[in-house]
Amino acid sequence: MKNTKKVLIKPSTIILLVACALFIVFIPLRYSGYNLMLYNTALIYAIVVFGLSLMLGMGGQLTFAGLAFMGAGTFYVANLCSGRWGFWVNNSLALITTPIVTGLLGFLIGSVLLKLKGTYFTFSTIALVQVAYSFYQNSRPISGGPDGISNIAPLRILGFEFNNYKRWFYLLVVLVIIVALIIERIRRTRFGRSLAAIRDNETAALTLGINVYRTKVIAFAITAMLGGLAGGLYAMQGRFAGSDMFTFERSTLFIIMGMIGGINNTFGVVIGSILVAMLPEWLRSLQRYLQLIYGLSVIVLMIFMPMGLAGIGSEMCKRIKRKITGIHAKKALEEAKK
Amino acid sequence: MIFNVLTALALNGFAMGMIYALMAMGIILLIRAIGVLNFAQGDMLMLGAYISLALIVDLKLPLLIMIPVALLSFAAVALIFMFGVYWPLRNASYPAAIVIATMGAGIAIKEFVTLVWGSLPMPMPALILDKETGGGKILRIGSTYLPWQMILTICVGAGAIWLVFILFEKMYAGRMMQAAAQDKFAAEMLGIPTIVTTAATYIISIILACIGGFMVGPMFTVNVTLGTLQLRAFAGVIIGGLGNIKGAIIGALLVGMVESFATIRFLAYKDAVVFLMLIVFLIFRPQGLFGEKISDKA
Amino acid sequence: MNSILRLDGLDKRFGGVVAADNITFSVNPGTVHGLIGPNGAGKSTLMNLISGIYTPDKGKVFFDEKDITDVPPYERARMGIARTFQAPRFLQRSNIRDNLLLGSDLVDQHSYFKSFFSKQGRNFESELQKFMKMADFEIDLDDDISSLTYGHRKLLEIIRSMLAHPRVMLVDEPAAGLNNKEIDNAMALLNMAANEYGIGVLLIEHSMDMIMHICEDIVVISFGKVIATGKPKEIASNPEVITAYLGRDTDD
Repeated sequence: MKNTKKVLIKPSTIILLVACALFIVFIPLRYSGYNLMLYNTALIYAIVVFGLSLMLGMGGQLTFAGLAFMGAGTFYVANLCSGRWGFWVNNSLALITTPIVTGLLGFLIGSVLLKLKGTYFTFSTIALVQVAYSFYQNSRPISGGPDGISNIAPLRILGFEFNNYKRWFYLLVVLVIIVALIIERIRRTRFGRSLAAIRDNETAALTLGINVYRTKVIAFAITAMLGGLAGGLYAMQGRFAGSDMFTFERSTLFIIMGMIGGINNTFGVVIGSILVAMLPEWLRSLQRYLQLIYGLSVIVLMIFMPMGLAGIGSEMCKRIKRKITGIHAKKALEEAKK
Repeated sequence: MIFNVLTALALNGFAMGMIYALMAMGIILLIRAIGVLNFAQGDMLMLGAYISLALIVDLKLPLLIMIPVALLSFAAVALIFMFGVYWPLRNASYPAAIVIATMGAGIAIKEFVTLVWGSLPMPMPALILDKETGGGKILRIGSTYLPWQMILTICVGAGAIWLVFILFEKMYAGRMMQAAAQDKFAAEMLGIPTIVTTAATYIISIILACIGGFMVGPMFTVNVTLGTLQLRAFAGVIIGGLGNIKGAIIGALLVGMVESFATIRFLAYKDAVVFLMLIVFLIFRPQGLFGEKISDKA
Repeated sequence: MNSILRLDGLDKRFGGVVAADNITFSVNPGTVHGLIGPNGAGKSTLMNLISGIYTPDKGKVFFDEKDITDVPPYERARMGIARTFQAPRFLQRSNIRDNLLLGSDLVDQHSYFKSFFSKQGRNFESELQKFMKMADFEIDLDDDISSLTYGHRKLLEIIRSMLAHPRVMLVDEPAAGLNNKEIDNAMALLNMAANEYGIGVLLIEHSMDMIMHICEDIVVISFGKVIATGKPKEIASNPEVITAYLGRDTDD
């Protein structure tokens, strides 16, 4: 039995890490203003999609609820930090408490919804997003109604003020890296394995001693925490909270982009999020008919690569590896024949 | 006074309920017979509206010719959809892949429509026009106003439901499709070609949705967001119980009525009302109104 | 000696079909107990009743003389009831290590939180070596599970169950699809489970070879009812058993 406990330095990983490093250095140098804000938004989306990666990628549960919790996070921060109720909460404090609040909400709601199986659960998350959106769109106390909430104070951490997009970029990069590391670690622990077992066969998972219900609820709560955190960041970066983001259609977009990027792969999540944020911009300047190709490519990708674009990377590296070992084997055979 | 309002709301609810029911029937057929969740059903409705608009307004076809042409186009759309989205994925390893592919298809359809017709909403004339105002004719009983388009929608919907039931209950073709739905392998052994039954199911489902589009077009203007109506249809399917067509229809009608009457008190929040109702059903009666109790499978 | 697993009067119906009718027998620790019967007799139903996936209409299930009839399936697994499936159920996209760790997770039973911070699968490699010797093939823990042949996967499923240190193993048709050498390996593993580890093994099998070879006791089921129990020699010459098998096609 071989147990080559090799560290995760696969060739594909190295390439992607280098690409990430280049990205981190290059982007704030090349872009500023509106474009940089878009990349920042992409990073915020990535946090939501990491949550999706947990529920859908690892656990196999299709959920549309992420955006409902993102909205909760956004309006939680907006209400506390804009002074509209007569007081201001220090927004580092607000940001830290946001995932706790949305996590708790997620735990409670998840406990109810996850008593439902499969498709029924998915529909209940659709209903949740719709109900939440209805409230975000109309309720003045919660969200300022159609006007939204503006004048959210800029983020200050220990006196350092985040008042331009460059600073936000670096903050978000750090946060995304932390979240990515946490999700990667989860993948290798009992929790991650249990989710994978649930995805592949719930009944078999039960016989392996996995408390399927409880595991799903915990995953849902974590998704809610990440969604809420992203929502809070979104409100603070834009200094404005409106309801347009939190629709069912947007939710669908997030899921699609996560799948295209590669829902089970850290780099895939980031790629997918960048696509969600940037595609409207990139396509705006292209010919109209190329937008059609975008929808069609989703179908094609699902057919040939359900593991997304990131999957292509590791596939290619596997094939290269096989070719190399094949060449070695051939050489060894020839030597042996002599 | 109140009576007028209530009647108008009831008619509205019933008519919209029929639209949802047309989509819901298609949805449940695809779930039961093929096992797919079609998140593009609403976009099929939208496509139906656009095609109908093109036939009536652009080509100026008289109604008698327009209807068979439209039905043929809808069938063609159904086959393209099936071969493009379902067929290649029918043995997919990742179960959510096929659902997500329908989402992608929905986006593609929306873009295609925008490409061909532009993104401005377009008005569609009602089936029965009032010669004086040029708008849809309205039946007036005393001081109650009942738009004919809505009455016709109810009739057309009822007719479609009746036809579907005849197909499945009385005709051999329907029984073949049910057999193929329950056990593909056995059906093939009996000489029932599953590709044909699958195609037939798709054609029926999509035609139903497209008919819905044809009827709803004059009520809302024809635009790309018509697809969002599918969520109400899904809610209806669940409330009715994922078990059978009857449940889906009644669930959809119920959703239409609740949505309509919710506007009395909660105009802006009518969505929340409908979907909260769905959540309540899911929690307390997940099998829906007519589904069987979910128990151990043999 | 106290039985490790005891079924008492189990009844289970599905609509009109009687899948289990007053099933009563017990399994002793450290023995391999065969469960045989023609196809459709209700053997898989019984497995599901024992592992908790079905609840009986009547009757009780005892584990180490504790009534577990109302205990949910994941609890039963944690108490020490392991199970293999006819078609091996593995995480398709994971490597072998992760799949096997699922088995040994049951030993530590860390909470998810604790598991986040601790080393994964502490002692499992030395045990695994022992089991792999019995199974007589090599694996690379980093390989995909799909790189193994069907036969090797079935053997690995048995090993995964053993890694969980269970006290009862429910083994569902391990020989199906295996070549002769692999069947020998499977028998070796099951014998090891019973004799060295004191596990009570309940073995569903069609291969009479295997049954006669390693079972100490056998229970025969037909149409949901127990029609005979006893030692292999008695069962082999029992006329009712012979009729039950010959009375219908038993070709796989």
